[in-house]
Amino acid sequence: MRKSRVATLLGIVLMLALGASSVLAASKSVTIRVEGMKCNHCSSSVAKALKATAGVEKVEISHEKGEAVIQYDDQKVTEAKLREVINGTGFKAVEEKSATN
Amino acid sequence: MRRAIIFAVLMAVTPIIAVGQTSHAPALALKDLRGRALRLSDYKGKVVVLNFWATWCPPCRAEMPDLIKMQREYRSRGLQVVGITYPPEEIAEVRRFVRKLGVNYPIALGTRETKSLFDDTETLPLTVVIDREGKVRERIEGILLPQEFEQKIRPLLK
Repeated sequence: MRKSRVATLLGIVLMLALGASSVLAASKSVTIRVEGMKCNHCSSSVAKALKATAGVEKVEISHEKGEAVIQYDDQKVTEAKLREVINGTGFKAVEEKSATN
Repeated sequence: MRRAIIFAVLMAVTPIIAVGQTSHAPALALKDLRGRALRLSDYKGKVVVLNFWATWCPPCRAEMPDLIKMQREYRSRGLQVVGITYPPEEIAEVRRFVRKLGVNYPIALGTRETKSLFDDTETLPLTVVIDREGKVRERIEGILLPQEFEQKIRPLLK
C-alpha cells in the first residue's frame, strides 16, 4: 500500500518536472530588425499589435536600433507569424538578427 | 467610520472618472479636401469614428483599408468614419493618397490643435469613438486592432 503511494507521488513529481521543463523550453526570444521605425509616435503600433498576439509574452522596441525584441511561447506562435504581425502594422520585418532559447 | 470615508472618496472620484471617459466631443469645424466645411455636428445621431492620420505614418496607412471596409459594411447601421490629417502634410499628397486607396469617407485637414482637443500625446494613428449622443467613448492609440473594433465600436452600433 505504502509502496504504491510512493510510486504515485513520484509519478506526480516527475510529471510536474516534465511539465515545467516543457513550459520553460517553449519560451523563446527573438530580435527582429524593423525597417521604417523612424517615427517615434507611430511605431508604438508595432508593440501594440505584437502584445495583442497570442503567445507573445514581452515586447521591447528600440527606435534607435530599429528593432523589436520579442519574448514568445513557440508552442503558441511562430516567428513567421510575428513577422507577419509586424508587416501588418505598415513597417517591414527585415531579417532575424539572433534567436535564443 | 472607515467605510463611510471609503464611500465618500468613491462618490467624489466616480464622476471625475466618468466625465473623463464619456465627455462630450468638442465642436469641430474643419475643411475637407475640396475646401468645404466639415463639422462634427453634421453627423449627429451617428457613431463617429474620428481617425487622426498622416501619409508619412506607416500604421496609419496600414489601417486605412480596414477603415474603408468598416465604413462600407457598417454605414447602414449608423457608422461614420471621418479621417483628420495630422501635420506636416501637403494637401496634394493627401489627395493623391486618398484617391489611390479609394477612401470612401470624408477627410478633413487638421492641425496639432485639432488632435490635442482629444488627446495630449503625439501618438499616431489615434482613433476617437463618439457615440450617437455625441459623447467621446473611446480613445484608441495606435493601429486599430480587429478586437478593438469588436469590443469598443461594434456594440455602439446596436
